[in-house]
Amino acid sequence: MSDRSQNQRDVLRSHLSFFDLVRVGGSGLKTRKLRSALSATGIMIGIAALVGVLGLSSSGSADLIKELDALGTNLLRVEAGGGFRNSPTSLPADAVFMIERITPVYEVATVSSIPGAVYRNDLISDGRTQGISIKATDLNLLATQRGSLQAGVYLDDVLAQFPAVVLGSVAAQRLEISELLTPKQIWLGNNWFRVVGILNPLPLAADLDRAALIGYGIAEDLFDYDGIAEVIYVRADPNHILDVREVMAATVNPEFPEEVQVSRTSDVLEARAATRNTFTNLFVGLGAVALLVGAIGIANVMVIAVIERRNEIGLRRALGATRFHVGAQFLIEALVLSGIGGLAGIVLGLIITAVYATFREWSILIPEYAVFGGMLGSLVIGGIAGLYPALRAANMSPTEALRTS
Amino acid sequence: MTHEKSNIRYAVELRQVDKIYPGTPPVAALSDVSFSVVHGEFVGIVGASGSGKSTLLHVIGTLTQPTNGDVFIDSINTNGLSDRALSGLRAKSVGFVFQEFFLLPGFSAVQNVANGLLYSGVSSAEREERAKAMLDRVGLAHRMEHRPNEMSGGEQQRVAIARALVHDPAFVLADEPSGNLDSQNTSAVMDLFTKLNQDGTTIILITHDLEVAQISTRQVTLKDGRIEGHPDMLSGVVHE
Repeated sequence: MSDRSQNQRDVLRSHLSFFDLVRVGGSGLKTRKLRSALSATGIMIGIAALVGVLGLSSSGSADLIKELDALGTNLLRVEAGGGFRNSPTSLPADAVFMIERITPVYEVATVSSIPGAVYRNDLISDGRTQGISIKATDLNLLATQRGSLQAGVYLDDVLAQFPAVVLGSVAAQRLEISELLTPKQIWLGNNWFRVVGILNPLPLAADLDRAALIGYGIAEDLFDYDGIAEVIYVRADPNHILDVREVMAATVNPEFPEEVQVSRTSDVLEARAATRNTFTNLFVGLGAVALLVGAIGIANVMVIAVIERRNEIGLRRALGATRFHVGAQFLIEALVLSGIGGLAGIVLGLIITAVYATFREWSILIPEYAVFGGMLGSLVIGGIAGLYPALRAANMSPTEALRTS
Repeated sequence: MTHEKSNIRYAVELRQVDKIYPGTPPVAALSDVSFSVVHGEFVGIVGASGSGKSTLLHVIGTLTQPTNGDVFIDSINTNGLSDRALSGLRAKSVGFVFQEFFLLPGFSAVQNVANGLLYSGVSSAEREERAKAMLDRVGLAHRMEHRPNEMSGGEQQRVAIARALVHDPAFVLADEPSGNLDSQNTSAVMDLFTKLNQDGTTIILITHDLEVAQISTRQVTLKDGRIEGHPDMLSGVVHE
């Protein structure tokens, strides 16, 4: 063919600019709007599920991680329990003293249960305790728990000696005390106590939310408290928290270390985060299934389009379209379909995330990879789904395509 | 390989073309067909159904390659050309007019005509401009923005003819162009062909209808895959 003239070489070339190719590919959808919209819906749902789930789990985890960071993962809870002796176990009297000797420990707080019940006043019949317990505690507790007050003040040196009580958040709700603008008194262990403070929820010690906290001084005076701590909260250097945990039982009770239970309170929150991850994976899986179904839908619609538009394929071949032009036209059509579905899915996913996160008062956080991955994923899916129909269109013989039924 | 037997430039030349469809037994749709069309001619190819008309149309239109023999389009031998080269040849040298019009629904008359230039490397603006001029030439200036379903059969066929002409092809290949039209529209379309031919367009009209073929300046008959008639009738050169 080397002897062909320049003129002939020019004649023997079919042209279609990329822009025209995209326009031709998009134009096929114009005349079948409803069908196109329906087939893009599958991709939209899949992408929306993926973006929504990833967005929600990021937003949720972000808050959980923030919460974990704020509360710290270096709080240990030490209490008596277990062991091989039959008698009820308790921590040794010098437990706190021993714990404070562990170098990385920098905060220790103790809590002890006081027998008795709490009522709004002395007229309420016995037994209607509403599940509120009395706990004697020291002045470190609030700081150790990284807790905060809804109202009032926490116990101090003076208040600890007097009938003053700080209520946990749930306890305050059950006693129907929400503010301390006017003096409030409650009937606690057959004595009137003045409510001096209300705590915000303590995520690391949910049992204290249902407690009425009093000082050790008044506990000794009124309730014959024996000075033995029931639960000890320990804050230690986060870098050595595992070491501290390791030696804790033997340090507290060298004689019967098996009678000491040590737990890390933040484990609960971490378990919650892990659970949420499991759900995320489940929903990502469901989203992937929806995408697969969407891809099959697009492939199906495109195969039908190739059959229906046989004459158009024949015409385009007669007008000078190459096999490549015809194949590319149908491939681009599939890509446009899935692209529209993907775009709509991303928008829908973002809306779902924003609405739900706002509803749950989470900070909205949408990972970039969810958006870009969603778009890229839908295009890849469209490409795969459109490949077979495109090849079928490209390989259709023009004479066959021009035949009328 | 340029065809330069003489000074005559053929729009189409077929040399001993066979087209055999494989099968048991193989079917010879075209046997030893040789004939040519000179630029400016209006040739009618007449044949009953089953005579090989469609195959001849496809071979002349380079939509299929002959089993044996050579097909020259505008003096270019199509033998052994790639898909891309054949497509380019169709885009520039062949204008098809079909019985069923094959206009794209959802596109205006101008867009349909402009599609005739889509694969020839002409800019979008120029395509539209030339499409408008061509629609004007076939008398549809008032139908530019109408869609196929808003036009009569005769108008649709005129749009299709405009599409076949818009890229200024070496010849127009019309396959039963009046097959779907009533008598009134048939004569309008045939008048248009006559007028276009008088203005210099080469037209090859394939039909089963002898009466329709009468408007052409030269007729050849196809029967059982063979061209019939005096050898002088098979070349426009001798005829003239």
